[in-house]
Formats: sequence, structure tokens, C-alpha cells
Amino acid sequence: MNLFRIDRRLLANFDFVLLILLLLVCAAALSNLYSASYPPKSLSATPYLKQGIFLLMGFAVFLVVISVDYRELLFWNYPFYFLIILLLVLMYFIGYEANGSQRWINLGFFKLQPSEPAKLMMVITLASYYSRKEVVDGYSLKQLVVPLILTGVPFLLILLQPDLGTAMMLAIIFVSMTIFVRLKLSTYLILGTTAIALVVVAWEKVLKPYQKQRIQTFLHPEDDPMGNGYQILQSKIAVGSGGKFGKGYLEGTQGHLHFLPERHTDFAFAVWGEEWGFVGSFIFLGLYFALLIWGLYIAMNARDRFGVLLAFGVVILIFWQAVINLLMILGFLPVVGIPLPLVSYGGSSLMTTMICFAILMNVRMRRFQP
Amino acid sequence: MIFRELFAKEADEITERDETALDSLRRRVGAAIVVVMVFFSLIILRLWSLQINHGEEYRNRADSNRVRIRQVAAPRGHILDRKGREIVTNRPAFNVVLMREDSRDLDDVLKRLAPILNEDITVLWNRVREASGTPRYLPIRLKEDIDWKTLAFLENHNKDFSGIRIEVQPVRVFHYQDLAANVIGYLGAISKTELEEADKTVYRGGDLIGKMGLEKLREADLRGEKGNNYSEVDAKGFERKLLKSDDPMPGREIRLTLDVDLQQAAESLMEIGEKSGAVVAMEVKTGRLLAAVSTPHIRLNDFVGGISHERWQELLDNPKHPLLNKVVQATYPPGSTYKVVTALAGLATGVITPDTPIYCPGHYTFGNRRYGCWKKGGHGTVTLMRALEESCDVYFYLVGQRVGVDTLAEFAGKFGLGRKTGVELEHEKSGLTPTKKWKLSRYQTKWQDGETLSTAIGQGFNLASPLQICQMTATLANGGKLFRPQIVEQVTDPDGKVVQTFRPELLEEIKGFDKYLALIRQGLVGVVNGPHGTARSAKIDGITVAGKTGTAQVVKVAAYRHLKEEDIPYKFRDHAWFTAFAPAEDPEIAVTVLVEHGLHGGSGAAPIATAVMKEYFRDRLTARAEEIARDTH
Repeated sequence: MNLFRIDRRLLANFDFVLLILLLLVCAAALSNLYSASYPPKSLSATPYLKQGIFLLMGFAVFLVVISVDYRELLFWNYPFYFLIILLLVLMYFIGYEANGSQRWINLGFFKLQPSEPAKLMMVITLASYYSRKEVVDGYSLKQLVVPLILTGVPFLLILLQPDLGTAMMLAIIFVSMTIFVRLKLSTYLILGTTAIALVVVAWEKVLKPYQKQRIQTFLHPEDDPMGNGYQILQSKIAVGSGGKFGKGYLEGTQGHLHFLPERHTDFAFAVWGEEWGFVGSFIFLGLYFALLIWGLYIAMNARDRFGVLLAFGVVILIFWQAVINLLMILGFLPVVGIPLPLVSYGGSSLMTTMICFAILMNVRMRRFQP
Repeated sequence: MIFRELFAKEADEITERDETALDSLRRRVGAAIVVVMVFFSLIILRLWSLQINHGEEYRNRADSNRVRIRQVAAPRGHILDRKGREIVTNRPAFNVVLMREDSRDLDDVLKRLAPILNEDITVLWNRVREASGTPRYLPIRLKEDIDWKTLAFLENHNKDFSGIRIEVQPVRVFHYQDLAANVIGYLGAISKTELEEADKTVYRGGDLIGKMGLEKLREADLRGEKGNNYSEVDAKGFERKLLKSDDPMPGREIRLTLDVDLQQAAESLMEIGEKSGAVVAMEVKTGRLLAAVSTPHIRLNDFVGGISHERWQELLDNPKHPLLNKVVQATYPPGSTYKVVTALAGLATGVITPDTPIYCPGHYTFGNRRYGCWKKGGHGTVTLMRALEESCDVYFYLVGQRVGVDTLAEFAGKFGLGRKTGVELEHEKSGLTPTKKWKLSRYQTKWQDGETLSTAIGQGFNLASPLQICQMTATLANGGKLFRPQIVEQVTDPDGKVVQTFRPELLEEIKGFDKYLALIRQGLVGVVNGPHGTARSAKIDGITVAGKTGTAQVVKVAAYRHLKEEDIPYKFRDHAWFTAFAPAEDPEIAVTVLVEHGLHGGSGAAPIATAVMKEYFRDRLTARAEEIARDTH
């Protein structure tokens, strides 16, 4: 039972590239959060301070996670899975309401958003399922029944909160990972046709006119400048007005004057874009990109199938969240409550993301182990 | 723990799979890298488009999002008299305004505010309602120009009145009450039509603009440039900080040619008995107006903060027309003052010599009509000097008849009559100098020779403004130089730079008749100083005053002629003229007085002119008095 034993070989394989990239992105994100919450209203309530504390906690958790062999997750994944399901169910009874949707459970010292770890739990569950049930020539429909159910349960629970964004993330993770492990051609065809049929039926029969209207507004935000369109428009103005070199740190006006909604959560990157301009955004996104590519490099070099799937899963989880968030900020996607991992304020998201990177480090460190 | 062992075993098995399947999985990670690269490229491209291609456009939008420009009214330029005494300047007025953005619980606030402002709450609510269409950040004025007590109270209790602020606004202050009121004029809120015609970069709705007098004519000089406060506004409309402020540029200072002392002397006398009329004093060698009085006049303070409907209606209904500037906007038959023109016409055309005797039996019969002399008993045989001194009508009937109406008009024109003087005062009337041609085109009837007689003594169709008569007098006094009357001495920028300065403007000159002009001047000296002069009351010891009285007939028909003067109803009484210049030896100043329905020039108008002259010559008169006092001791 040397659960927490770290031998020298592990330390020798510690990945400083990953750590440094992670630290750089975190530092930039924290400084950006300082600007987004500038000028500080009261010391205790400023998001950047809280985020800094979460970040420190995150690194502590990071150390704990890398000290345990990731293969332990093959055992722990079902207990985790049921714990998350339990939390999601519990939310209906003791959930903390924000903006009309039940998303938090108050743990006293921490308001937990179970939907955040749920995303990671989904990655772990699917990674362990697909590594257990290895199929050489692609999965058949029958073999997908279990993962579909495993995804469907939390998906529905989160969808009913209602947190459409996170629910969609679960679906995206499922699709990404399932395509990654490869399906039979027939399975692709059947699932594809079913999905299209479902969308058409939903559009024609299920959705009410006002819901359609909302989707259309999503697609054409400029038509609704005071509603969702307002947020997108202000975000575009913020980023666009940054120009080549930006307005300078703490000099952004869109963010500081509250034109930018949710400027320390979902729209945090718009603050960065406004203050640092194209050059600064390019550098930051370059770092972010390097971090993700390095994560995929880790996945490529993992020692076993579970390691590959796990590393791939966590990278793709961060990647999709980042892409959706950035495309939303840049006006390509409607407003959905998806944070930019590491950058957006939020303890649950940050902790989950730190665990993701800890898992990556874990896989990396144990790539040569028997 | 058996459960755990079981899974651990399976875990080992899973991780011990063959390498080929694992390799194909690893290769697929490469595909994922391509996907990540594609999306990141897309994001970078989008950033390029937003920040580089459209950066400028978004920057402008960000600025218009956040910058609010508030205008700060500029203090209007001061108006001074020729000696630099301040007639009109500005003072800060404190207005109570409502800032809608900061306002909470408006109903309660207004309820408590109304008694403090001594206003009915409905008045306050009306102000708020009227402004409901304006942008929310614009303050709504609840009450203008509160007194310092109210101000102090509100400043001390500002926490109790959310959204209520004090706004400071420069308003006009008049250091000599209503001095030269109708010349200075007033301000008012810019009207819709004015706004449409105005330069949109300068004026906005609610601005004050000159509506009358010099305030209107010199609007461009006086208004200055508004300042701007640029403040940063957040999404809720709150002003967060002042980014930049351009101070307003005060308007230019205008120094008038008017002299406060002379103006006051004339006004105070005109106000006795509420006389209606005008007084003009002019420097004869330059055309500078030293006094320009029109009574009754407007009350300048009525217009500060907007005139009430009742006061405005009163001004419109007043039969003495206080809104008129009678110096230029009212014309009257010049009466006997016109005899100056007739005399020159007669002498110049040679129909008379200074010694030509004419017998006045008290009337002159022409055709089948009898034209009376004002002196029913007649003047006997008169020559030019006595005719002028005693204002013998018969003498001038004959002169007029001999030269003819068109020649009279020609000489009237030499004195500036019958056309606008071009003074810088609004709505100047040109008066009327009748000619045969004029009558034919105006009435389609032939000129009657009898009408020439009336014209020759300044009655009939003749019309002239007080300023024209003054200009005529000045021209006579200075030896024939017709100057354009001017009222602005100097215009100065706030930084002291002189923008405009007075220059005499010679319009025309009567040449070759110096001798005759001197004779007429001599005749006018007699009017004041001669034994039988009609304006002997205008005599000033120590200064030789020359002048001419005149009576402008109000009704031609002699319906009231038989009545005693004091029994004639006011509105049918004749207007009284007196025009004078002094010192006769080397004239400096010309003064013209018209008192509507003042009956006689000598009694009704001359004392006012005398007072103005005494004021003008005060230093010389005092010096002389001291000299005499010394000599007697």
C-alpha cells in the first residue's frame, strides 16, 4: 500500500515544461483578473484574491494528485462517478441558486459547483470504460450502450438544473472521446442519422416559438443589442478596441466601466484583449495553445491505453471549453455559460482544471513505469 | 479491500495490452493536434479581424460608449461704457437641478423640496415631466437663481435630497439697472426656428441667445465659447471620473461709445412724468453716440431667467411701446427742425440771401388754402436770422415754394434724412423725405404744390427718426460732414487683444456751402440765445448752445387747435422736438430730444437736451464756476 510513495524515478520524470507553461498562463490569468476586478471594492471580496487562494489550493491538490498513480483511477472512477451523481441529485434539495438555476452546493468554506467536477468525472469514466473494453476494429452500437448511459445520466441532471452549457460540454466530451477510440462505420452512420433526425424533430415539433426565437437571437446577436446581443457586442467592442497593442494594463475602459458583462468570469479574456491588444492576445493564446499541444504530446507518449485516453480526455475537456469561450467572446458563438479554464474566475472550475493538469503530469511522470 | 484487489488485478491486465493497438491510438492524438491548431488559427484570424482590421472602428465605439460631453456655459462678454464703466457683466446664478440618474424616491424628495424652494409641488413635477423626453443624463432645472439662504440650506442638507444638485450658471447683472435697456436688449432661450438656422456646433436647445439690442446684434462677440467636460461614464450611466475639461472661453468685452453719465442724465429726466420718446447725443466730429435713450424701456431684470407671460403681455399692451427703441425704430415729422434743410436749400440755390426780407402776417395763402404761422399775430418782416430764431413758418413756406419739393429732398438727403443712418441698432427705419416721384408711385396722384409748404416746415409726409435729426444736427455743426453714427467703441478678446476699434466713418460731405452752414448755425445760436428765441430755456452760462425747436403735428385737422393745450387729449397732442449742438464756436456734441406728445420743443424737449449738455460740459462748467467764484472774491 504505497499509495503516496514517490520514488526518485518519478521525480526525475517531472515535466517542467508543463509546469512552467501552466504557471505562465496562471500568472497572466491572475493579473488579468486583478484588472477585471479593478478598482477593488473591498479587499475581502475581490475575485483576484479569492482566485489566488484557489490557485494555491489548486497547486496543493496538484501535488496530492501527482503522488498517486493515475491507474488507481481505474478503481476509483466508479466511486467518483456515483459521488458526483449524488451531488448532482443533492443539488435539487440543498442547491444554492444563482441566476435562477441551481448550480452550487454550499460546503461552508467553499461553494461547490458539482457540474465542474462532473466534466472531469466524465473524462475519467469514459477513459476507464474505453480502456477496459478495448475493441480493435471500432465500437459497435451495442458496445456504446453503457457509455451512453454513463453520459446520459449526469447530462440530464445538469440539463435540468438548467445548465445547458455544461450539459453540452458533457455531450461534446462523449462525442470527442468516442470518436477518438473509433467506431464502426455503421455505428457512425446510425448515430449521425439519428442525431440529425433528433435536431430536425426538436426544431419542428418540440421547441416552442419563443425558444426558436432565442436560438435565432443567439445566431444573430446584432439584432438584439440590449439582450444577449448586448453582451456579445460589448465583448467585441472591448476586444476590437484593444487594437494592435491594447490600451495598457488596467487601462481598459469597457471592462472597468461595466459595459462588459461577466468580465471576471465568462468574459475575462475580453479584458485581456482590450488591455493587451492583438500582440498580447497572440502571446497569451500562444501560451495556452502550447499548453494544450504539450498535453496532447503527453497523451501521445503515455505508457498505456488508459494513460492516452485520460490525457487526451483532460486536454480535450480544456480545449473545448477554451474554444467555445473564446469563440463566444469573439462573437462567433452565442452566450453559453462556459468558462475559459484557468482564466475565468471560479473556484470549482479552477480546481477541476488544476486536477486535469495534475492528471496530465501524473501520466507524464509515469510514462516509463512498468 | 477484496473489492479493490479485484479491480487492481483487472487494471494490471488492461495496462498490459499489446503495443500495436496503442500505437494506432497514439497516432490519432496527432489528428487531435491538427484540430486544436485549426481552431486556434481560426481564433487568431478572428482576433486579427477584430483588433487590426476593425480596431479603429471598435475603438471609436468604445469611446462613444464611455465618454459623455457636458457643455459648460461661457460667461457672456461684458458691456462697458466709453470710459470703461461696467454696464452689464455676469454673476453666478444658482439653479436647483435634478439629476435623474442619481435620483431615488423622487416623489418624497420633491415633496420636501417644494416648500424650501417656495414653489408648488405641481410646478416642480411639471418641470420634470416637460423634460421627460430629454436624455437622462441632462439635469432638469427645478428652480433658477435661488437666494443664498436657500442655497446654504440645500448645500448643508444635500444628503437628504437625493439627485438634487446645485448648478452654477452665469447670468447677466446690470450695474446701472435699466441703463440703455433698449440698446442693450435681452437674452432668451433659443427658439426652434433660431436653432434650425443656427450653427449646430455652437448652439443647442436651451441655450441663451441674444433676442434684442446689442445682445442680439453682437451675439457672436458676446457669447464666447462653451467649455466641455468630458467624463467617463459606466454602463449604468454614472459618471466615474472627469477625463478632460476645456474651460469655457468668455465672450468678448464690448466697450460702447455711450457715456453712462449722459445716458443717466437723459433717462432720469425722460422718466419724470413717464415721458415717451427718445434722446440721442452724438459726438459731432466722429459720429460716436454718447447717449441713446428710448423711453419707456424694457426692464432688463425681467428677462433674466425668462420673462413671465404676464410681463410680456404688459410690454405688448403698453400704448407707449416700451419694446421699441425709438431712437431708430420710430419716426416722426421733423417739424421745424427741418427748417435747417429748407434754409440751406434756399441759400444754396440762391432763392434767398441772408438778407432777403419776407413779410409774415401770421399766415400765408396759397391757392385757396390758408397756411398759418405758429404765431397767429405774425412776425412782421423777417430775414433768415430772425426766421430761424423765431421759427417763422411763413418765411420757410416761401423758401420752400421757391426751391420746390425735389430740391428740398435733395438737401434733406445731404443731411442724411430719408435713409437709414446705418447705425448698429436693429430695425432702423429710414424715415421719409417726400418727392414728386415718390408721391406719384406711392399714391398715383400728382404732387400738390401746397404740400411743398408743409414739407418745407417739416410736416406733411416728412418723417425722421430722432437719430436722423441728431445726425442732421451734427452734420450742420461740423461743417457738413455726414458721419455714420456708431455705438461700439472697442471689442476686446478675453486675453486683451483688441478685435475691433472705433473709426469714424464719413459717409458724405456737404461741400461749398460752408458759409451758409455757418449762417444757419448762427441762426440756431439765436434760437437759444436770442431775445426772441424759441428755446431760450436751453441756454447754458459759459457754453454757447445752438439749437432748433420743432413740433411734429399729430393730427392735421385743426379739430383740437382751438382748445387750450392742457385740454387736448394726450394722444392728440403734438410731439416736441429739440435738437442742439454746442459749443457753437467749435461744436463737439449734438443732442436731439423727442418727447412724444410733449407739445412744444422749447418747453417739452429742450430742458432734457440742456441737462445732457450740462453733464457733457460738467468739468468745464465747474472750472468756470470756480473761476468766477475766485474772481468775485
